[in-house]
Amino acid sequence: MSDASSPTVSASGNILIVEDDPETAAAVAAVVRDLGCTPVHRDTLEDGIAESAGDYRVIVLDRMLPGGDGVEAMARIRAGGSRALILVLSALGRAAQRVEGLEKGADDYLPKPFEPEELRARLRALLRRGTMQVLDNDLLAFGDLEIRLKARTVHVKLTHVSVSPKEFELITYFARNAGQLVTRMQLLENVWNLHFDPGTNVVDVHVGRLRRKLEDAGSHAIQTARGEGYVFAPLPASEA
Amino acid sequence: MRPADERPLKARATWRLAAVMAVAVAALAMLAMALQYRLVEGRLMQAQRALLTADLDGFAALYDQRRVIAVREAIALRTATGADEMLLLMDRQGGILAGTLPGWPAGLVRDGEGFTVDPAQEVVQDGSRWLVVARELPGGFPLLVGRPLAPVDDTLAAMRRGMMVLLAAVLAVAAGTGWLAAVWVMGRIGRVNALADRVAAGDLAARLPGPRAPDEFGLLETHVHAMLDRIEALNRATHHLSDTIAHELRTPLNRMVQRLSRLQGQEDEVEALKAEMRQAIRMFDSLLDISRAEADQGGGGLVPVDLSAVAAEVWDLYEALAEDKGLVPRAQVTPGLMVLGDRTLIAQVLANLLDNAIKYCGPGDGLALTVTAEAGRHALRLADTGPGLPEDLRADAFDRFTRADRDRARGIKGHGLGLALVRAIAARHGARLSLPQTARGLTVEIAFPALRD
Repeated sequence: MSDASSPTVSASGNILIVEDDPETAAAVAAVVRDLGCTPVHRDTLEDGIAESAGDYRVIVLDRMLPGGDGVEAMARIRAGGSRALILVLSALGRAAQRVEGLEKGADDYLPKPFEPEELRARLRALLRRGTMQVLDNDLLAFGDLEIRLKARTVHVKLTHVSVSPKEFELITYFARNAGQLVTRMQLLENVWNLHFDPGTNVVDVHVGRLRRKLEDAGSHAIQTARGEGYVFAPLPASEA
Repeated sequence: MRPADERPLKARATWRLAAVMAVAVAALAMLAMALQYRLVEGRLMQAQRALLTADLDGFAALYDQRRVIAVREAIALRTATGADEMLLLMDRQGGILAGTLPGWPAGLVRDGEGFTVDPAQEVVQDGSRWLVVARELPGGFPLLVGRPLAPVDDTLAAMRRGMMVLLAAVLAVAAGTGWLAAVWVMGRIGRVNALADRVAAGDLAARLPGPRAPDEFGLLETHVHAMLDRIEALNRATHHLSDTIAHELRTPLNRMVQRLSRLQGQEDEVEALKAEMRQAIRMFDSLLDISRAEADQGGGGLVPVDLSAVAAEVWDLYEALAEDKGLVPRAQVTPGLMVLGDRTLIAQVLANLLDNAIKYCGPGDGLALTVTAEAGRHALRLADTGPGLPEDLRADAFDRFTRADRDRARGIKGHGLGLALVRAIAARHGARLSLPQTARGLTVEIAFPALRD
């Protein structure tokens, strides 16, 4: 049994930024430093690929770079022995292009323009993914909130909370990113597997329903984060 | 797309050409042979006639010397030597004086009494033709002198057999040549057809391998290649242009967002600006999605997609929103309906339609999704009982930037691209898009071609 509630991962390590627009690179670097990691910046594809052989946890990769398309270069980066997770950050942000990037092996794909919070949430999720590979226990426990993965049940204070299949996927995704900001776009991509902006905040309705169910059972695990998304923080924060 | 059927039998044009050639050659050969036949027939008849004339001249000379007696002796002599002739001399009472025949042939009329060859007659004796001269010599002596036409008939029969064999040979050779030509032409054209099929299936870079032959087919291949090069270049330029536009627009927008994020103390204003920018990007993406879907129309790149599953997922996402707005949603999705498609595009279509419906319908309105199999198609139908389309908008509801005036008046936001994208994506899938007339509200139906396994 594991208690997955330890909120903040104190991240460290290097993150490679391959980006030709200096302002964007600076913004990404700021986010990286925020996370406690060290940014390394390269502004052409060739330099980026050469540098990727180093010890990096995540590579933030642009697409339309001097020297070529970052998505096409991912195979070369992998061939160079890099085990870093790749986040494609690109102006090519149509749904088809995002799906293409993910299908070609990107671990995440964020279109420009991006909110710093969105990038931070995604980088954090990737850093976590790098460290929490073995979180395959059947039981996820956050204080009095328990999620059983095999039985697909949710209990609050030992009371069963009835959730729909989608709501279960939603709470599981939240739980895997407990303590971190989870954006609407991340939910849409990871829970619904949809890679376009539907315009309306369809996700809010679902999160709202799940939150009410949890609140009715006495858990204030899901909180709205200032405009950008939600935080699943089942422990003290709710009572505070 | 079905590949071209390349069996030579399908080369109808080549076959027609070969048939015309064969008939023309056979007709000419037959005409030449017929002329020759006529000529030979004439010559042979002439020869027999000449022999008959010589015989008659001989008998005439004998008759001049000793009348019937001499003729009788001559005939008796020639009959005895078994000459290949028809000879008969009779007396006044019908008794045979000499000759090869047992009696006067029935129905043969005696013409005149001289020894001239004209008029001669043709008679059939023992199954073969003879050229005969029938006379009644002065004093009532019937005389018959004839030469056989059997050699003539045999020769002509041989010629006719030859002609039939030749005709058969000409037709056989023509058919063989036609077959070979069809195989060869289909082989050459089949390459081009196969190339066209590959291009139609989405492989714009497909080309024919090997050198061009220096003939009309080689020329055709060269032209097709030139055309494909041009299409590919245009297509690449279009894609490149849309990528460049995206890059050039989103990069500065990105800088703006980064700076906006650093602004403090005007959160509402910043949020409003960001929302505006998101809206602009959405519109822009829709335009690019539309032009991309239109450019890819009929092309490849589609994979088997579970239409029912995608529809159910997107429905699941929007159903809650519809319920929250007081609509009465219900879905009836036949599971497991497969189509050849692009999951993201299909999801976008349904999301657009649902978004529209929820936007325009009010509390109490019904919203029904059905996905059913009917007549070789998988139909996705979304019906609402909302305000429907204004009658004047039905015709061009799917055109870009079409918006109802009442929406502008009511302040409903939108850029008029949602339904245009729906149309482009439906066309991309070869699906039939229609707006069935209903008593109330709007019904949109997209009938995808069913994927058979």
